[in-house]
Amino acid sequence: MASKANKPELIVKGKRLDGRAFDELRPLKIEASVLKNADGSAYLEWGNNKVLAAVYGPMETQPKHMANSSRAIIKCRYAMAPFSSLSEHGRTGPNRRATEISKVTKEAFENVVMLNEFPGSMINIFIEILQSDGGTRAAGITAAAVALASAGIHMKDLIYAVSVGKVGEHLLLDLNMIEDNYSDSDMPMAISPRNGDVVLLQMDGEYTKEELSKAIAMAEEAGKTISKIQKEALRSVYKKVSDKYGGE
Amino acid sequence: MKEIILPGDLLAETEVRGPYSYIENGKTYSMVLGMYEKERGAIVPLEGVWAPRLEDTVVGIVTSSRNSVYEVDLKFHGRALIIGGKFERFTFNVGDVVEATIKNIEDKKTIILSYPRLLEGGTLISIKAMKVPRVIGKDNTMIKQISNSAKSLIVVGKNGLIWIKGGDIALATEAILRIQDEAHVSGLTERIKKMLEKN
Repeated sequence: MASKANKPELIVKGKRLDGRAFDELRPLKIEASVLKNADGSAYLEWGNNKVLAAVYGPMETQPKHMANSSRAIIKCRYAMAPFSSLSEHGRTGPNRRATEISKVTKEAFENVVMLNEFPGSMINIFIEILQSDGGTRAAGITAAAVALASAGIHMKDLIYAVSVGKVGEHLLLDLNMIEDNYSDSDMPMAISPRNGDVVLLQMDGEYTKEELSKAIAMAEEAGKTISKIQKEALRSVYKKVSDKYGGE
Repeated sequence: MKEIILPGDLLAETEVRGPYSYIENGKTYSMVLGMYEKERGAIVPLEGVWAPRLEDTVVGIVTSSRNSVYEVDLKFHGRALIIGGKFERFTFNVGDVVEATIKNIEDKKTIILSYPRLLEGGTLISIKAMKVPRVIGKDNTMIKQISNSAKSLIVVGKNGLIWIKGGDIALATEAILRIQDEAHVSGLTERIKKMLEKN
């Protein structure tokens, strides 16, 4: 388990354990509309993370007493598959950690989804972590944003999430599991790329004021790449059919 | 020239009011995944749920009956009701497929239906509601083409439920499902025509 005593050397000769630079993302791959039964879905591979997100709705609210007659409600379920992780980090079932992540994910999306468009309805977001390697909540939000768009949900923006951590005096982008466990601090963020609104910010550990603004700048820079991949994933679903018939 | 747009994409530097877009700080942004035609400023969403409009023809299944009020499942997040009165008497059973017109929409979520008609027998298929306009086509051309070729009776509900009776149901279904998949690619009418002529 992570402790100061058995902390491994996380930075060797100015590189990270997996050979990345400090501000380098893990390879990211997204595929949209992978599930036929869901209204919208996405499959994401981010380094060793493998995430499946599905969206249903807007649909009739169940249970009925939860319905809000002036706006839609969002329900979110983040869950780790029993086989998702090697250590005790990812337990399956509704536990404290999964409940917390479900809640923060839901609140992040409440900022961008046009809730007043479908009063009385419910939008269900399911995030299933098939394989975890650190930064799964960021991966989950990034995948769920694509799933929401592919379900045709009215949204202000396609949000993305990424984490920035600190090891010694270095700021590291997109921590993996081992860096996450032994880092001095870790900060997952979800950002709306259109205007730079931060819709989720959680932090373990400490940052100075300068480090914080540098970390946010790093996340925004990385976000350009993530956003591009998200958009490409959605476009390619329709391009595939277009290309087949040589249309526009 | 049509292009694919995504939520949050900038459409115009000025305020242009229209469906499926929103305005913030004097600029217009998209709020859906859709096709955008810049010259006309028109957005056609590619995915999404059906938003009911007055006078829409819908197809649904009766799910409950009490006195002469029938609740109809339209695959919609609100309720849809057929209300019988002194002069209008309807008798439907639970499970009946009906065609009706939207008379009123209350608070965006309760739909009142009128002129219900029982659809007996036949097959019911469900497609994405956003693709229904392409299935119907301009001036009903597409749906006429399908029903003439397959020699079936077809009722298209704006909510995405389609009822087909008689003729070559398999051919009609195949054509409709193909339209659903290829609705965003131009030259659709020609391709469907070719497909129908082959059979």
